[in-house]
Amino acid sequence: MNAHHRATRRALSRALSRALARPFSTSSPKPSGAAFPLKHVTKSNFEPALAELRQHLRAADFVAIDLEMSGVTSAPWRESLEFDRSDVRYLKVKDSAEKFAVLQFGVCPFRWDPSTHSFVAHPHNFYVFPRQELPVDGPSYEFLCQTTSIDFLARYQFDFNACIYEGISYLSRQQEHEALRRLNGAYEDTLSDTRCNLKEVRDVRLDRMADILFTERIKNRFSEWRDGLLRDRIGGFQLQWNSNDSKQQFQTIFFKMRPAISLTGFTSHQFKLIQWVINKHFEDLTYVHVTGENFCSQQLVVYTESKDDIDLLMKEVKDEHRRGAEMKIQSAIGFRQVIDLLSSEQKLIVGHNCFLDIAHVYSKFLGPLPLTGEEFVSSINKYFPHIVDTKLLLNANYVLQQRMNKSSTSLSSAFARLCSQIAFGSESKGLAFLQPVQVEVQVDDIRTSNWNSGAKHEAGYDAFMTGCIFAQACSHLGIDFKLHLPSENLAHNEKLYKQINHLYLSWTNGDIIDLSTGKIEEPLGTKYPKKQYSKILFENIILIWGFPSKLKAQEIRQCISKVFSPTSVTSVYHLDESAVFVQFSKAGFVSDFLVLKETLERSDGPISVLHPLAKLLEGGNTRAASYEIYKDICSSPISEVLFADQAEAVGIKWKTQVIEPKLAVESQENGSFREDNAIRNVPKSAENSEHNVEKDILSGHCEIIDSLSTAEANQM
Amino acid sequence: MAALLSLLPQRRCLCTKSHKKWSVKQVTKTNFEESLSEIKTHIAHSDFIAVSLQRTGSVSAPWHRFLPFDTSHTAYAKAKRAAERFQLLQFAVCPFSIRDSKLLAHPYNFHLFPRDELKIGMPSYSFSCQTSYLTSMAREGFDFNACIYDGISYLSRAQESAAILQMRNPIPITHVVKSSSTPSVADSVFIERIKSRVKYWRNACKDSSGNRDEPLLSSLRKLVLGTEEYGSRPCMNIDVCSERQVQLVLEMLEEFSDDLVPLIIPAKGGATQAVRVILTSSKEDKVLLQNELQNLQEEQTKKVRGFREVIDLISASHRPVVSHNSLNDFTFIHSKFLTPLPPNVDEFMCSLHLVFPHILDVQQLMKEIGPLRKVTNIPTAISYLKDHFFAPIDMETLHQDTANDGKIHGHNVLRIAHLFAKLCSILQIAPTESGNKSLVPALEEYANILNPCSMSPQESTDGDISIWTNNTRKVSCEHLVFLWGFKRTMTAGILKSLLQGSHDVFSEEFDVRLVDKSCAIVVFWKPGLSKTFLNVMNSKEICGSLRELVSEGLRAACYATYKRVCSLGIWEADLAESLEKALEEPDCLRKTDSGTNPLEVYWFSDLVINLDEL
Repeated sequence: MNAHHRATRRALSRALSRALARPFSTSSPKPSGAAFPLKHVTKSNFEPALAELRQHLRAADFVAIDLEMSGVTSAPWRESLEFDRSDVRYLKVKDSAEKFAVLQFGVCPFRWDPSTHSFVAHPHNFYVFPRQELPVDGPSYEFLCQTTSIDFLARYQFDFNACIYEGISYLSRQQEHEALRRLNGAYEDTLSDTRCNLKEVRDVRLDRMADILFTERIKNRFSEWRDGLLRDRIGGFQLQWNSNDSKQQFQTIFFKMRPAISLTGFTSHQFKLIQWVINKHFEDLTYVHVTGENFCSQQLVVYTESKDDIDLLMKEVKDEHRRGAEMKIQSAIGFRQVIDLLSSEQKLIVGHNCFLDIAHVYSKFLGPLPLTGEEFVSSINKYFPHIVDTKLLLNANYVLQQRMNKSSTSLSSAFARLCSQIAFGSESKGLAFLQPVQVEVQVDDIRTSNWNSGAKHEAGYDAFMTGCIFAQACSHLGIDFKLHLPSENLAHNEKLYKQINHLYLSWTNGDIIDLSTGKIEEPLGTKYPKKQYSKILFENIILIWGFPSKLKAQEIRQCISKVFSPTSVTSVYHLDESAVFVQFSKAGFVSDFLVLKETLERSDGPISVLHPLAKLLEGGNTRAASYEIYKDICSSPISEVLFADQAEAVGIKWKTQVIEPKLAVESQENGSFREDNAIRNVPKSAENSEHNVEKDILSGHCEIIDSLSTAEANQM
Repeated sequence: MAALLSLLPQRRCLCTKSHKKWSVKQVTKTNFEESLSEIKTHIAHSDFIAVSLQRTGSVSAPWHRFLPFDTSHTAYAKAKRAAERFQLLQFAVCPFSIRDSKLLAHPYNFHLFPRDELKIGMPSYSFSCQTSYLTSMAREGFDFNACIYDGISYLSRAQESAAILQMRNPIPITHVVKSSSTPSVADSVFIERIKSRVKYWRNACKDSSGNRDEPLLSSLRKLVLGTEEYGSRPCMNIDVCSERQVQLVLEMLEEFSDDLVPLIIPAKGGATQAVRVILTSSKEDKVLLQNELQNLQEEQTKKVRGFREVIDLISASHRPVVSHNSLNDFTFIHSKFLTPLPPNVDEFMCSLHLVFPHILDVQQLMKEIGPLRKVTNIPTAISYLKDHFFAPIDMETLHQDTANDGKIHGHNVLRIAHLFAKLCSILQIAPTESGNKSLVPALEEYANILNPCSMSPQESTDGDISIWTNNTRKVSCEHLVFLWGFKRTMTAGILKSLLQGSHDVFSEEFDVRLVDKSCAIVVFWKPGLSKTFLNVMNSKEICGSLRELVSEGLRAACYATYKRVCSLGIWEADLAESLEKALEEPDCLRKTDSGTNPLEVYWFSDLVINLDEL
């Protein structure tokens, strides 16, 4: 409650200060509407909020979501780069989703209200924290924080205390299955091991006088009680203990329809002794340990009529244990219930540039992310059959591009541009839009058509903005909500059909992935604004790292051009300060370069300073490999800040990756290497390279396999 | 939260009761400047400095904690991993003195956050958080918002040098070292050209200083002369192509040292881009400018160092630093505030010693008092001492009780100081000698022992383990064997009984303990049997029930494999998994065993590794 209120107060004061600041900053002095906060959900109000959300989701036409994470990239070179092939891009997204935590989850169902001709939005802001609720026999839960991301959230007054103190915990489906499986295993074990447990108890040795006296007393007490029971089967079997103290320690109760004594106020050693006494001296009494409804444990001695009855009792006790444990698991599912709802309702899910968000949803709430993008896409499609991305929608459609008038498609600027009547509280800002879509906001019992919580970068508010953009975009695309029947799913609307289930795999290079087919497409629509490079040919790319740090891209290009030809290098691109991609004009150069480097470094003695590559190979730590190695390095769970350190940490020990023989031969056939002017700079041994190649391949090949297996092993 | 709310006031009561006078000054970036000068004087006037750290995590799996069989090498590898992975959120520093039975303490609690203040990706790109750790901090009322919003940032010494290169601020040159090499022809030509340019510019500036040109003329003049302005003074930039030219220009400028002040303008990547020359109007003005530049530079470095100023103060004071868990604390301090951690413990100790010559771990002193040697909790230790010894310590903190906002952070550092004072009193060590600020000989023998597993300070000198022979037995690492590949529900007792009949080697005395759920450690008390056992495990002649066990998956490895696990950093959740991987590693031939490694660890006959603690 405390945290919730704190957050509430915070949002209120923020909204207020915004409202005060607005008349000075914008031309529309009209005060924004009601400034009540969005619905914050923490573990204290989760259950009622979930029940309410269930109703809203059922009635919704679409649901907007947004996530706040503890970070995005675990190393600078893991950011999205132009030279990332789609499979590499997936690996980077996977790494991010696996390492960082979701701190806030915004869910905002939108429902068309025909009576008011407007949407009703219910923004929810869930604080999420991966608390370890169940005892797990494995590593402790850890997550990474990217310093800049945390600082960013702090600048927007993110309430970390609310998140850590009060955040809702969760179990993924896989974690739940695992917990249940372990429970079943333990259950089977205990069923078969009952006797074994008894045996262990029998090992108690009575060394101390106090123990002997104590057990003697216990034995007498219980035989008295048992005899009392047998004597008095029909009447009440109240046993008269001598003192009040004993009455509290031994309380007669009924347990599973059997007379029993509940034991309290003993030490664990004494409990052990009692258990030993019962097992040793009483055939018809059974010692059981149960966990009560309110999770307090109880030690009992139960009277049983026969041997069969003992077995029956034990089974009943164990079943109860199991039920208790199952309930614990059930309650540990926590926030995943929201995700299960989203999945089962099959509503259209709206996100803004949301591929990473979806990957987080998968890894946190379903299970470990698959190794390849294809597998990921096909299984996400099963859980969430309809997803639409507003960023893609805005960029893909000509009408909308016009509306956006070339302004940025970031969430807040798209919101300001398309939904100004909501963003600024004015009816329309000069621009005669077709029809601004009205959105009313309802939080608990308060409803308004003119809402502004102003809580930008709160997941709940961001989800709200995303939904508003989507509604407005639909209207621009010609979808008339007035004619729209509540029964038909927006996802099947022909005007949206092309964009449904299409997400940006990477905004940097505009690759789009189709979740329903798994295909990766070139940028949709008229033209993609950010695409500056001509098509990247990954087989022409070589990766170089570990070179002297002062070397700049231009110098590297010169070095290599001198050896091959002035036009041999298409582009040089810095991965970070320690590594570059070099794109050649021909795939053949890749293997030529690798062979040359290998030869240069194998010849004894230092490389001649006159050789053009000497500058690049200076220091003797320069490594080179084909693009595939980059993919392997990306798939490693390790994240060193510098790429060169990463490659070393992944376990690459060779200096030059030697390429497959087929390619090497091809490159010889292509022949440009030989005709090149620079050939005279190549030392003599290069002429033997054809003979050496095979040996190199043998040795080099083994090394590659090694490095691969370490990478795989690390992943396990 | 309701439960938490009801707990909080209670806790607060307790705290205010026990720390009535113990007010710890909370420092964030808003009051850092003032606190820094304050703590400076306090450090100067105190005899010891206690430190205590609040981290975002410690160990990821049960076997990653320090175990009784860890050597200083493996313990260091474990501490190193934690220090590199996790982050510091609070750093409590308490300069204190002990006068008779009075403890004079000045506790400060610095809130830290590795904010990238200079936008250069430092001090920390990212860091790990352990959920259970954060949850338990929350239970103690830790204010994460205060820490993240207002925490003080810092750069390590290594990062500072890198940052200075990256920021490319002009560097004033106060002293030029004459180069020994004679100038070449090209050098002379270059020098003459620059010299005449400087002369011309200097004269032109001086001429024009008197008469007032019209704006057009003065801007034209500027254009022709290439003159710019540095503050109110004229300056010009001399472009250079090499460090040699920088040297030549600086030497040449010596001639004009009466009124010209040179500044180096760094280029990207550490080289020099240009030399900037500033013209001052007189000798006095030159001194003024030089002071200005110096202040500017100090201001800049202050901003860069942030909290590290405090570390530098502690280091410069040469006061003994008192800590609890010193290996953990100082691996963090080294990696966050000095330089990245070196690969092995010897280098680490050397490097640390240069910065902190005397480190005292209260744990080492506690080992002198038999029953305390395994107590790791400070309050427990204090209450034990209270009950068993008469050593009243009067604590006096010298902060005014600043409007008590119920913050309860950083009291641990006071407890450490308190415990230290009590221990000194009980062990009859006079912690200081009058008039002498260096460490007293009685404490010297406890100093700089960081390995939590080393049993007593005497051990390092004569190998005497005197008092605890009844349940501590010395054992060579050679006699230890790691076993894994058994059922996860196995207990040490059952495993021992399984092994007992399986082979002849087990007919002699041996012990089995579980390290974690996946792996056990076996000690052979009779020399040589461990080797025999390992040979048997690898031979074809293996037979009987041992063969059965092996076919069910039982595997064994020697202590060297464990060392390799630690030095290669194979930190899997299960030790068994890590050992398997270390065996698969191709470079078994690496020389991991140098002769200096202490090959002896201690075996507790009552060794219990509590798996529930994590």
